[in-house]
Amino acid sequence: MKRATQATETPQVGRSVPRLESWLKVTGKAEYVHNLRLPGMLYGKIFRSSVAHGRIKRIDASAARAVAGVHSVVTAAEIRKLIPEPYYGPAFHDQPILAVGKVRYVGEPVAVVLASDPHVAEEAVHLITAEYEELPAVYDEVEAMTSKAIVHDELKPAGTFPDLKHLKGRKNTNVALEFRLRRGNAEKAMKGAERVFEHRFRTQQVMHTPLEPLVSVAESTESTLTIHTASQSPSFVRIEIARLLGWPENRIRVRVPFLGGGFGAKLYIKLEALVSVLSLITRKPVKISLTMEEQFFTITKHASTFRIKSGVTKDGRIVARDCEVWWNGGAYADIGPRVAQKSGFTAPGPYDVQDVAIDSYALYTNLPPAGALRGFGIPQLVWAYESHTDLIARELGIDPVEFRRKNLLREGRPQATGTLMKDAALEKVLERLEVLMDWQKPFDRGEGTVRRGRGIAIGFKACIANTASLAAVNINADGSVTVYTSCVDMGQGSDTAMAQIAAEVLHLATESVTVVHSDTDVTPFDMATLGSRSLFHSGNAVKLAAEDALKKLVQLKEELHLAADTPVAEVFRKKYGMRAGSVTGAGSFIPPYTPPDEDGQSDNATPFWMVGASGVELEVDTETGRVRLTRLVNVADVGTPINPRIVETQLSSGAIMQLGFSLFEKMLFDAEGQLRNASLAEYKIPGFLDIPEHITNEAVVAEQRNGPFGGKGVGETATFGVSPAIANAIHDAVGVRLTELPMNPEAVFMAMQKK
Amino acid sequence: MRPFELLEPRSLREAVAALEASDARPMAGGTAIMLMMKAGVLRPGCLVSLRSLRLEQLEVASDGALRVGAMTTLRALEKSEVVRKGWPVITKTLRTLSNVRVRNVATLGGHLAHGDPHMDLPPLLSALGATATIAGPKGERTSPVEALYSGYLETTLRKGELITRVEIPALGRKRAAYLKCTTRSADDWPALGVAVVMDGDKPTIVVSAATDRPTRLASLEAAEALHIESDLHGSAAYKKQLLRVYLKRAIHEARNASH
Repeated sequence: MKRATQATETPQVGRSVPRLESWLKVTGKAEYVHNLRLPGMLYGKIFRSSVAHGRIKRIDASAARAVAGVHSVVTAAEIRKLIPEPYYGPAFHDQPILAVGKVRYVGEPVAVVLASDPHVAEEAVHLITAEYEELPAVYDEVEAMTSKAIVHDELKPAGTFPDLKHLKGRKNTNVALEFRLRRGNAEKAMKGAERVFEHRFRTQQVMHTPLEPLVSVAESTESTLTIHTASQSPSFVRIEIARLLGWPENRIRVRVPFLGGGFGAKLYIKLEALVSVLSLITRKPVKISLTMEEQFFTITKHASTFRIKSGVTKDGRIVARDCEVWWNGGAYADIGPRVAQKSGFTAPGPYDVQDVAIDSYALYTNLPPAGALRGFGIPQLVWAYESHTDLIARELGIDPVEFRRKNLLREGRPQATGTLMKDAALEKVLERLEVLMDWQKPFDRGEGTVRRGRGIAIGFKACIANTASLAAVNINADGSVTVYTSCVDMGQGSDTAMAQIAAEVLHLATESVTVVHSDTDVTPFDMATLGSRSLFHSGNAVKLAAEDALKKLVQLKEELHLAADTPVAEVFRKKYGMRAGSVTGAGSFIPPYTPPDEDGQSDNATPFWMVGASGVELEVDTETGRVRLTRLVNVADVGTPINPRIVETQLSSGAIMQLGFSLFEKMLFDAEGQLRNASLAEYKIPGFLDIPEHITNEAVVAEQRNGPFGGKGVGETATFGVSPAIANAIHDAVGVRLTELPMNPEAVFMAMQKK
Repeated sequence: MRPFELLEPRSLREAVAALEASDARPMAGGTAIMLMMKAGVLRPGCLVSLRSLRLEQLEVASDGALRVGAMTTLRALEKSEVVRKGWPVITKTLRTLSNVRVRNVATLGGHLAHGDPHMDLPPLLSALGATATIAGPKGERTSPVEALYSGYLETTLRKGELITRVEIPALGRKRAAYLKCTTRSADDWPALGVAVVMDGDKPTIVVSAATDRPTRLASLEAAEALHIESDLHGSAAYKKQLLRVYLKRAIHEARNASH
């Protein structure tokens, strides 16, 4: 659609602007890497490991090479001629571009067949054989602590994170990070408490399932490399590829058009290093598009075990909490150690507890790697601490809302790290949830084989720190505005939000603003689009850039002695004698941060807090254990909603995604580490019929004072409370407690049988 | 996927002849075979498309039976007024069979010939006493739908044979119900399907999904003796429980069916 530049005094923040790209998307014109074809391009298909842990004795690709139309077959041997140490990763340099010497999980990439016809490449992959000397493997995160099966011979921290440096060279361990937090003396306080409760909860390994599977294309010359990729972190990709190749960053260009969903699957390096080296080896453009099924072997969400213990007074004050969390990171660390730490420090929940101990372990196992998935570990933690909190309230005979209210962290109180709570509307969110759930009204508990129950849960998250975003804003000679940001619109609506922020500063209609997609040759650095950080970080950067551009425009007017209300086009005509020129504003944003000390204490652990609560009403079929949600209420503190409609869809979509993880999604492995349900026919995600009839989403009236126009992130917020709210409601309905996800009908029925 | 030749014969005779080739496979709607080929489970060198065979008729015969051409899409069946009036249980079953995109292309013949016990119509049509007409190298034969299945993904169709038509007798005074139960998402393959046709007080019961093929239960008590295996949908013990519950519910629903 053509959009005329339109000045306006109407506020742009708080407007439910329809997404700027929606027209492109519904007409099939939006750019996706999936559709990209370059002249002379080769397609790569990956040959994968069939064993969970083993030494590679032999790879025989002769039959594959003999297939008509096959260009070549590449293994680590060819890659190491180009990059002797071909290991990558954001936290550890532990993941090889293709398996070197050893394989560490079933499905690990071992070789690639290249052909100009993808079907030929795929067919040839079947002809490759590999022999392995199998090694003992470990799959369970708690067993990995003491297992004799060691996934990595030696730990290789990336060096980018100071708290991992001491792990360099460590041997005979599967612990990739051990995060420790001590506040007060939990052990002593526990002894003094009148009641002590202890429970253990588990979550399962699941997949992101973006509708657009991972896809990357690389093209190269002797001295340049261009990567077109469906990535949430183009700036990181450039830095990491530059490091691997030993090239300067300016010779590597990373372009990212739209993404068909990301959810954390498309972060850091996925296929980018592989297509880059393949292009450099073959001197042709190379594309790899994963199938939906291959994604199961690429990146997943951590399975976890959480032991939580609380000391409580008779009248219901939590005085001590002891948390031990084991994260199943799979064979490669990816961002797992960050999950263990950055999420780990919120493990006691949003409660005012004086004495706290947390031990959070990131573990290697012989399963597909785990990373960030819409919540960065928080949903796993809230699942445990809100189930635990509900059990305590029940035991004490205190209303669950009341018990939480009594213990909630108030504004200005120190959280477990010592950081004071600021702009975290915990009380308000709980209060609105109580109202929207009609909590004080009588509740129909069902009859016969249908029993009804309801439950609530509240969680919080610290935004990852410390991370930078840069942006540029161009006011063109005709007064139109272009925003340059490496923030990636993966479906969450960031283009529209960034345009709204620039438009608000520049008094333009949002529709007049164009957002240039990530292109590291053009758009400034941005840490990554993850962890609900972009609205806050990239948004602040865009705001600063727009303000800078506006300041320069005002200066230009003054320099030319023009009235303040002179139209922009006239200013440039006066300056350059014709329609020419532009002013460019730059914005750079990095919030203050204090790294935790050895006790996990920090006076500034996060730039902002996210708060999300959910309430559910459900029915349990007592003869089958089937659970039907009749109502789902999500309440959140998102600061000031920049675009209320997008906020609402982010809340409902986050909650629905978590609903799948709560009720049925699960990657099922056999005793040899083989995934038994690696297809969407056997790994089910929610469909329309799984969505509760009534969903209410509400952002409470709140302001994030250091956020752009009072705003902050929302992408993950509604995932926090869903799972424990369901478990609490099942308990309410039929009196059984589930401590493991997913809560499928059989699990509910068997728990009822045991009772 | 192995490269394959695609044939589109215009007559049954040509189709049957083409299917006699050793690595030829028939393709109706293609919804199942394409997935199996992508997964590498089937690697045919030749696909014989049945779409130009003009097997899309949908009519009521003079004896009141419903005659459905094998290439009738599930969606056409679902939308048919004739079916809705005479066999409402079929219309109802189709509404939750897979999803509308699949129903738009999947065909009745393909659905029956696939042999996957998780399909909804094989148990229902078995209980309704439906008959399949089969064309083959030796001419035409008929078989009760119930007799089409010999095991998991195994049918009694021989090399070169094709289902061309299905005949479903009039319900008359009978009442029927089909219930299925999924244990993961709502649109999952069922863990259990139960078809019940009541002739007065006498039930015909065919269960599927939990069994390796549609299986007739001689009596309600026979449910307890049924061999059920654990799989990704649930343990054997749990599926046995589902069977008890859904049998009871299906009989109740059939008794109270308005038709």
